[in-house]
Amino acid sequence: MSLITPSRQKGSPKGGGRRAENNRIYAHPLPLVFSAPESRSRIGHVLGLFGTNTRLENPHCEGVFDPATRSVWVTNEKDSMILWRRGFFGKGDLSRSEPSWLARQVNARKAAGKYMTSEEVREKRRAERKQFKMDRAAAIARAAAEAEAAFAEGREAAPAFIPSGATWKPHQSSEISSLPEGPPEKHPDEVVEELEPLENVEHLQLTLQEAFFLVWNLDCLTVLDPHTREPMDLRRIWQSFQEVHCIPVDLPVYANRCDNIFLVNYAAYHYYRSLGWVVKGGIKFCVDLLLYKRGPVFHHAEFAVVVIPVYEDPADKESSPFNLPNSDTFSWSWLSTINRVNAQVQKTLILTYVTIPAQSRVSADLLSSPACLALYSVRDVVLRRFIPARMRD
Amino acid sequence: MDKHPSYEALSPYLSKYPKAAGSLFQTYNDLRLAQQWTDLELVELPGCSRCGMRGRRPQMDDLLCVVPCSLSESLSTDWIRTTFKELGSPPHVYLAINTEDSSIVYYKISPGIVKPPL
Repeated sequence: MSLITPSRQKGSPKGGGRRAENNRIYAHPLPLVFSAPESRSRIGHVLGLFGTNTRLENPHCEGVFDPATRSVWVTNEKDSMILWRRGFFGKGDLSRSEPSWLARQVNARKAAGKYMTSEEVREKRRAERKQFKMDRAAAIARAAAEAEAAFAEGREAAPAFIPSGATWKPHQSSEISSLPEGPPEKHPDEVVEELEPLENVEHLQLTLQEAFFLVWNLDCLTVLDPHTREPMDLRRIWQSFQEVHCIPVDLPVYANRCDNIFLVNYAAYHYYRSLGWVVKGGIKFCVDLLLYKRGPVFHHAEFAVVVIPVYEDPADKESSPFNLPNSDTFSWSWLSTINRVNAQVQKTLILTYVTIPAQSRVSADLLSSPACLALYSVRDVVLRRFIPARMRD
Repeated sequence: MDKHPSYEALSPYLSKYPKAAGSLFQTYNDLRLAQQWTDLELVELPGCSRCGMRGRRPQMDDLLCVVPCSLSESLSTDWIRTTFKELGSPPHVYLAINTEDSSIVYYKISPGIVKPPL
């Protein structure tokens, strides 16, 4: 079955087996897991029903702060898997989502490709789409030539068949080879022995917002200082995450600013995470955030969020050393463009207004801890295009 | 970052152009390790205060140019023109836009109007 033909089924095109597998692997929505140990006595069992026996399992993951890329790196493979599988935190830096670089390299070496990673599926789909476009262009050229010839001879042209996304079938062509294959004349076992052992150079990259959420709210992540490799305490983390946006760091104009980009983005991230959404980056759709109900492996994101900072006190905007994106009044053409891009991929656009408190009513003391987040307010506006001629209800 | 195998090749440029260090590192690793580009070489672009790259895509012969930048930067057409000039006027340049979660979006920029291929 072609990967580019639109799916006939309403729901997920994956089989029931894959869905059950996903439900099992991604069962925990957060890295913290509640577990109730089996109890032998009757009283223990009854107490367990009241929740007194439940224990909280904390995976205690570790990450390193990287100021250059403004992120936290988790290099331990076990921790990366836990953070990805329980809440879809982070992204493999050499992969589309889950860190799968090592698996892809191993697949490529074996050239067996029994289980395709999502990147390999994407390559296959792109190769098919390219072939489809070439077939379609050739069919259009043929139809045009036929029409010309028919016109010259003064007869009706034969009806042309131009393939569309739904009708095109991929033909087994030797030119479509997306997976890199090893040299065919060598025995597969020899290939594996001759190449050097693979070192996993990929890490899970957490944005500063994701890392802070895990550190402050769930207490399941420890962030290490990049130079000393010592764990950073909450106050240092809070300060360093803001300082990455201040270049150079000790300039006094950056001190005690409520509109630091980290704070504004964190307010929006925290808001949606605490409501239960899985929040990921939205650069592929020209937006700031994408909201998933359960996670990227289950269904495409339903909502695309643009974070719009609003200053409570306009004077703060004048004096701001930061140039916050989307803080100026936007044109309707900008809004229309983003809405169209997302409507094309069946996503609803949400404008999230984050109100930054006035510099005058926030003390430096308050800003030195996450308690200042209580002063930020988040309002969201859902946007849908309305066509009066067609939408009568 | 200094423990990463790519650090050695990149370190002179990471310290010379610190503001573009993050995007250079991410783009270099993506091209070399994930996209499996060959003959990757770094090209200094002093007019844009960063380092660009030239390399070959797998199964393709032409030498392609990539300029990394970050999503938080604002670029001007003058900046883009400078990259073309400093890379030796290639037919097109790929702009690698990096984000903090390590997603990279590549845009192909050509000097002038280009007809779609198909």
